[in-house]
Amino acid sequence: MASGIRAGALLALAVCGLMGCGHPARPQPVTHTVTIDAVHFQPATITVRVGDTVVWVNKDPFPHTVTAASGNLSSPDIGASDSWRWTATSAGDLPYVCKYHPTMTGTVTVAP
Amino acid sequence: MSMGSCALRNGSTVTVTVHFQGDFMKLSRTIIAAAFIAATASLHAQSINDAQIASIVVTANQVDIDAGNLAEKMGSTADVKAFGKQMVTDHTGVNKSAVDLVTKLKVTPEDNATSMSLKDGGAKNVANLKTLKGKAFDKAYIDHEVAYHQQVLDAVDKVLIPNAKNEELKALLVKVRPAFVAHLDHAKHVQEMVSK
Repeated sequence: MASGIRAGALLALAVCGLMGCGHPARPQPVTHTVTIDAVHFQPATITVRVGDTVVWVNKDPFPHTVTAASGNLSSPDIGASDSWRWTATSAGDLPYVCKYHPTMTGTVTVAP
Repeated sequence: MSMGSCALRNGSTVTVTVHFQGDFMKLSRTIIAAAFIAATASLHAQSINDAQIASIVVTANQVDIDAGNLAEKMGSTADVKAFGKQMVTDHTGVNKSAVDLVTKLKVTPEDNATSMSLKDGGAKNVANLKTLKGKAFDKAYIDHEVAYHQQVLDAVDKVLIPNAKNEELKALLVKVRPAFVAHLDHAKHVQEMVSK
């Protein structure tokens, strides 16, 4: 009898795991790419989720940075043909610039 | 006010009018601009080839690298020094791309009226800057940078891009043009700070 209850409970857990039981499974983290080309961030605005990674790829022949006034979004120099990876750890809007080229602006919106 | 004429190789004449306002730097900038415009107008009329365009690109970058190196050493404010350093970094990068491309295309840069005018104007600018110190240096350097980037942009738009025959050379010019726009905006911002 007891083993029958245990088997039933395990089955319920397995079904719950497969179906979600009303709690949607958290999406797998995704990697997004922002291209730096001709002194522009492309796309200039991007929306990601906590846990996602953003890669900035510099296609210009000189260095750029990704520098936000707040949060932990702050790259070192990203040289020509180099890239820099950053993983979102908390929700919020992060406007950023290239500290060498203040006309270059972008925003990362991090959804929970 | 003074008026002078500059004969071009194609037989036409450019008349240069200079307004004396008691400001030597304004006069100097006007003369540099007039020489540059006359030289590019001459080339425009003669139709310019890719080897000449390559020479103009490399020279234009090198001229700004030379001035930037000086500003990094002699600028009296952090903004002017940082701007000079950035000009060195960016224009060195652009020149590397240009040299890599012309090497790949087996094009040998060819001296011409515009590249010689740029070289001469750059040497005169550096010689003038070396006689200045402090705020006078900052003002002369950044005023020249604003005028220079505007002139280079005009040449890129009106002479270099329209005449470039090789598609990769044309693409490089189109790609680096926004950097010159960003430099011009940045130079104007530094100019405002220096004027305060």
